[in-house]
Amino acid sequence: MRIRRGFFPFLTLVAVGTLAAALAQTVVGQTNSPSSGSATPSKKAATTTTNQKTVWGHPDLQGIWSSDGIVVPFQRAKEFGNRPFMTEEEHQKAVGDLERRNARPGRDNRAGRGTEKDVARAYNDLWFDKPKGVSYRTSQIIDPPDGRMPAYTPEALARIQKQRDYLVALLQGTSGGKPGPISPLRYQPPPDYNLDRMNRADGPEDRSSDERCFLSHLPANGVTRIVQGPDSVNFYYDIGQGTGFDRVVQIANRPHLSKDIRLYWGDSIGRWEGDTLVVDVTNFTHETDYRGSRENLHLIERYRRIDAETLEVTTTAEDPTTWVKPFTFVTELKKQPEKLNQVYEGGCQEGNYALMDMLINTRAAEKLFEQGKGPDPALEDNASGGGDDSPNNPLTAPRQ
Amino acid sequence: MRSRKNLISVLVTGIAAVAAWLCFVAVPSTAQAPKVSSTARATRTPDGHPNLNGIWQAMNTANWDLLAHTTRPVVGQPGVYPNVQVLAAPVLALGAAGGIVPPGPGVVEGDEIPYKSQAAAQKKDNAEHWLDRDPEARCYMPGVPRAMYMPYPFEITQGTNKIMMAFEVNGASRTIHLDTVDPPPADTWMGFSVGHWEGNTLVIDSSHFNDRTWFSRSGDFHSDALHVVERLTPMTPDALRYEVTIEDSNVFTRPWKMDMMLYRHMEPNARLMEYKCVELVEETFLGHLRKKQLVKHWEGDTIVLDVTRKVPEGDKLYQR
Repeated sequence: MRIRRGFFPFLTLVAVGTLAAALAQTVVGQTNSPSSGSATPSKKAATTTTNQKTVWGHPDLQGIWSSDGIVVPFQRAKEFGNRPFMTEEEHQKAVGDLERRNARPGRDNRAGRGTEKDVARAYNDLWFDKPKGVSYRTSQIIDPPDGRMPAYTPEALARIQKQRDYLVALLQGTSGGKPGPISPLRYQPPPDYNLDRMNRADGPEDRSSDERCFLSHLPANGVTRIVQGPDSVNFYYDIGQGTGFDRVVQIANRPHLSKDIRLYWGDSIGRWEGDTLVVDVTNFTHETDYRGSRENLHLIERYRRIDAETLEVTTTAEDPTTWVKPFTFVTELKKQPEKLNQVYEGGCQEGNYALMDMLINTRAAEKLFEQGKGPDPALEDNASGGGDDSPNNPLTAPRQ
Repeated sequence: MRSRKNLISVLVTGIAAVAAWLCFVAVPSTAQAPKVSSTARATRTPDGHPNLNGIWQAMNTANWDLLAHTTRPVVGQPGVYPNVQVLAAPVLALGAAGGIVPPGPGVVEGDEIPYKSQAAAQKKDNAEHWLDRDPEARCYMPGVPRAMYMPYPFEITQGTNKIMMAFEVNGASRTIHLDTVDPPPADTWMGFSVGHWEGNTLVIDSSHFNDRTWFSRSGDFHSDALHVVERLTPMTPDALRYEVTIEDSNVFTRPWKMDMMLYRHMEPNARLMEYKCVELVEETFLGHLRKKQLVKHWEGDTIVLDVTRKVPEGDKLYQR
């Protein structure tokens, strides 16, 4: 089960029901049970294309696109070896596995009723998208050929581990952490600019990038509207739960911005190569993180329409300071009905009462502790998020 | 590498550009023949509409005040004379570099916004407390039409059935639907916009607004009954006349109109940058909630400012 990005800042808003747009979208996702029927994506990498052109003569990529709730693991399970596609039998098994997973109570699980973990589950499973089908692809990664992420460089491993150790240390002594006294690391700043959920709320910087409404980052996922002009391509990403962003890729023959300019969404420069839009993205900031890569991330995105209903996005990510070699992954996006117009405005900052509430609540808890009326906030788990399977649990989950 | 097909399309576009330019000659304006260069831009799309693709920006002070106004303190306090305010603490140290509202002749037809009497009182109250109430200060989406005349660029991408407007400020965005689509299921900050062409004019009809955005830093506001009709008409390939009719029967006695120009950014390196707002205002709005505060004089959520602006030796006024 995947929590929609940007969920946490919106708990407050969702609770008062003002995010009807996001709700409507989520509910649509809920009404479809998993199947291998209409949700079956193309089984083989298509080599065809469409002849659709814009009035300017460029390949027409316009429309609303989404992954349609189809599950494709990012990395390949080792059992598939170098095989990029499943057999029919393997696919049937994967569909069965998904059905069983979807049938689980998820956040409706009330095990350990009244514990911190139970309270942190907070919101009903209704609020979370469930996958609708399984792709025949064994992994999004197509290169390296084993479908696995390349290894981290020793420096990156040390950097990531140090930050991870810090986050784990701040949970020490809480119900979500290792036993032990309050770690002295609690009184020190994080080793790296923090973007994760942290078990501390001394100020806004302690909260995650999602909770602070730093928006999402590239490579983006979610529902995407593409609109093309002669020299620009506009991508509007509806990431869900009030997070959205408009990205304009200029089709231009120009160098990237000075390396001193660092941007959340990087500096994108587009060009056409035959029927493919190629976008080169650099100049990311240290305040973004893609699978451990920060400001040195370099993305090369290739957008190609492989049939009337399918947009193939092939992304190569490289960062020699983070990975020993580049890797390439494919997502296949399906065209969504224009009339339904299910791309909604993101309003993260506009609805972010949660960040303020987290700080207010923590100050109040500290005060109560000082007065001997409550537990030490440092020994309470406010980070691991209600379950060991939470993608925001720094103890178990890699950053996605 | 450019394909031959692209070269042909460039040629066709070029021919179309010249043809389209001829159409504009009738407009009394300073339009000149587009220079044949790599940056030459067709004045019309191949399907015959004005080509609005590019980066635009208003060049006025409407974001400060829609009506005719002269300079005044951004935040003022009573001075020696009751009617002559002086700069107040939040902007005192900034001096003329941020402390003064820039003047402007106004953008409202008749220089009057027809507020209902209670709404007029609300506007006045808003203006007095604008720093605490203006959604701009909190990095909220600016709404419509304010996004169009804030002093920041926006980029138009003119597609087949949609026209996108991407605003530099706070990553705000508008989708102008030229086709028929369902409206959003909830009210929005930037509205639900449906467009159509009337000759050379793009007409945009917008509704489904919430009541949270303002029109200016002067407290001009609206309700969720806001209905906005905009007309964008090229006067030259690089200048658009921008007319806006505002209708909101909860707040105004009649529809009223703004009229201004939008200009094309023609710099070769023109682009939208990122307006990093949210992170930079955390201290303003959340600073009082820090465990260890950076500002030393919070009283609750009130910032008590001791403005200490010590001018270093050598930089004093008489030393410059």
